[in-house]
Amino acid sequence: MLSIKNLHASVEDKEILKGINLEIKAGEVHAIMGPNGSGKSTLSQVLAGNEAFEVTSGEITLNGENLLDLETEERAREGIFLAFQYPVEIPGVSNLQFLRTAVNAMRTHRGEPEMNAAEFMKLAKEVSKQVDLDPAFLKRGVNEGFSGGEKKRNEIMQALLLQPKLAILDETDSGLDIDALQVVSNGVNALRAEDRAILMVTHYQRLLNHIVPDYVHVLAGGKIVKSGGRELALELEERGYGWLGIKDEETADSSANGSGN
Amino acid sequence: MKPAPTLSSAFLHPVGHSLPEPLVALRKQRGTALVDMPLPTRKTENWKYSSKFLKLTDEMANALPADGKTGSSLAVPGYKVAFLNGVMIPEASEYPDLDGITIQSFDDLSDDEAAELADRLDSTLDNNAVQMARLNSARFEDGLLIRLSPDAVLDQPLFIVHEVTADASGSAFPRIYVDAGRHSQITLVEEYISSGSEPVMVNTVSEFTLADGANVTSIRLNMEGENVQHIGATGVRQQRSSRFESHCVGFGGPLRRHDLQVRLEGEGAECKLNGVVVTQGKQHYDNHTTIEHIAAHCNSEETYRNIAADQSHAIFNGRIHIHQDAQKSNADMNNKNLLLSNGAEIDTKPELEIYADDVKCAHGATIGQLDEASLFYLVSRGIARREANVLLTMAFINELVEQIPVAAVRETAQTRLNQFFDQTFEEA
Repeated sequence: MLSIKNLHASVEDKEILKGINLEIKAGEVHAIMGPNGSGKSTLSQVLAGNEAFEVTSGEITLNGENLLDLETEERAREGIFLAFQYPVEIPGVSNLQFLRTAVNAMRTHRGEPEMNAAEFMKLAKEVSKQVDLDPAFLKRGVNEGFSGGEKKRNEIMQALLLQPKLAILDETDSGLDIDALQVVSNGVNALRAEDRAILMVTHYQRLLNHIVPDYVHVLAGGKIVKSGGRELALELEERGYGWLGIKDEETADSSANGSGN
Repeated sequence: MKPAPTLSSAFLHPVGHSLPEPLVALRKQRGTALVDMPLPTRKTENWKYSSKFLKLTDEMANALPADGKTGSSLAVPGYKVAFLNGVMIPEASEYPDLDGITIQSFDDLSDDEAAELADRLDSTLDNNAVQMARLNSARFEDGLLIRLSPDAVLDQPLFIVHEVTADASGSAFPRIYVDAGRHSQITLVEEYISSGSEPVMVNTVSEFTLADGANVTSIRLNMEGENVQHIGATGVRQQRSSRFESHCVGFGGPLRRHDLQVRLEGEGAECKLNGVVVTQGKQHYDNHTTIEHIAAHCNSEETYRNIAADQSHAIFNGRIHIHQDAQKSNADMNNKNLLLSNGAEIDTKPELEIYADDVKCAHGATIGQLDEASLFYLVSRGIARREANVLLTMAFINELVEQIPVAAVRETAQTRLNQFFDQTFEEA
């Protein structure tokens, strides 16, 4: 489904991704782990089409289509979904209006009729229950005044509404307490399907206890340095990154990496 | 030093339109005072951005015809009064006889009523700061006097539609005086529209006096065409525990100027001033507001938002003056500005003058562009870039539009906003 070949990307002339190769098939769940500053978030942002990052070489295709030729909104309509590490607060745009506009943009793209306000309200209420968000949140501004956990649940709610082909979850577990982690994981597991792929970007192994991946990749210094099955995550948890010859550069690249969030 | 320019003689000859004698006398007296009035130049602080757009050619001194058909957009629900080129058109106006409320054109006043009004006209505005109101006082041809007896309540909004027909150059001088008695209540909509395409000027003065406990909501909608200079002034005087609420929504033109002056003269009076300005092309919009906290325990809350696209220019100048005896004043002024293009300009200036020592006074002003991170978030959900721009721009003013208490005004404003979005944000 998703094919990344020799991907190089820079932000402000600083190269962050230095030759990523990754193949993800429909139905698979992949996890990308790595120390801070390794380029995890950059990869997510590049896939979603954030123009702050410049792809200098390589290619990305989704079901054979060149993703790099598409604008962010076109990628979304082709089925790319990014659950943001830090979802943006947009006061003045109600969550309901935002979600309905997004869902109808997708429906229009697929040649389906738009949902009217009443139909959408019904759907939104059902899905908000699935991620344990009070439907009152729908009336508030997008993510406005939401706690960290509420924002993450809102991201998963959007994925459930938009039904993407490829869901990219950028640090969706960060900042969640155990109850919220459970809710979010249930939401993600509900997304698992034969025709859908999931790419989880995470710093910690904890999430992978709840959402069991098929493959785990270690990203360091802008490259995938090791790939394996689920057991690789457990090994990383136990032994850290040192045995792979990687230093956990807590600060080295994090400013450049963080700027895209 | 070169002397400041003054009005050309074309503006100084007497106005023809008849009115009750006391008002004619007042007009004449004000006209005499215009002779030496220096016109605003770029060295005049409160006109420094706008004086060059002020076009007072001899042609502008012509009166516009006070008859003819009024436009179709006058179809509004509720009570309405139609003015054409500053003169009331009774056959296009519709309001019932109401207990305790009189709505009269200046033309219809008895000599006694006119004498009383003449004594009160210009009493709400500081004419040194609002120079152009003096031109209106010398040249108004008609006007609307609204008087509310104590406890009178107008049960529906009153729409005052001021239309100017620009088939030839000239000026109109609409005038309104609202005298709200004790505990009376009224919601008033002033809508300014135009037809025709010749350059014209609309020079307005609206005055409000609020007795103890009176509650007045004033909505002002500026919708005139690209050929209309609009120079308006609103003066408000508030007595004890009265409340004045203002919602101004304005779209730009070659020159749009509004001076809003509120005097909080009685303890516990409060005002809320909201404003939304949208400019595009080469339009120019200049809002000057002044709130005088004169008595103690008064509240003022002011929120203005400017949106400037293309090469347009918007100005906000907000002055709060807290007098020495105005202890426990609570003043909050907030102005946020959105630039939609690199060529647009917005100037904002909060002015605070505080002479009392026990007051709360907050002010804030920001100028920014649409937030890239928010845009990316929206388009990453498949929302078209144009739609995302519209959502974020609307988000910037939503709070103020939603507060306008008359649905018909919100709808009219939204329709005009949608046109603006169509012209400003391209389809992908």
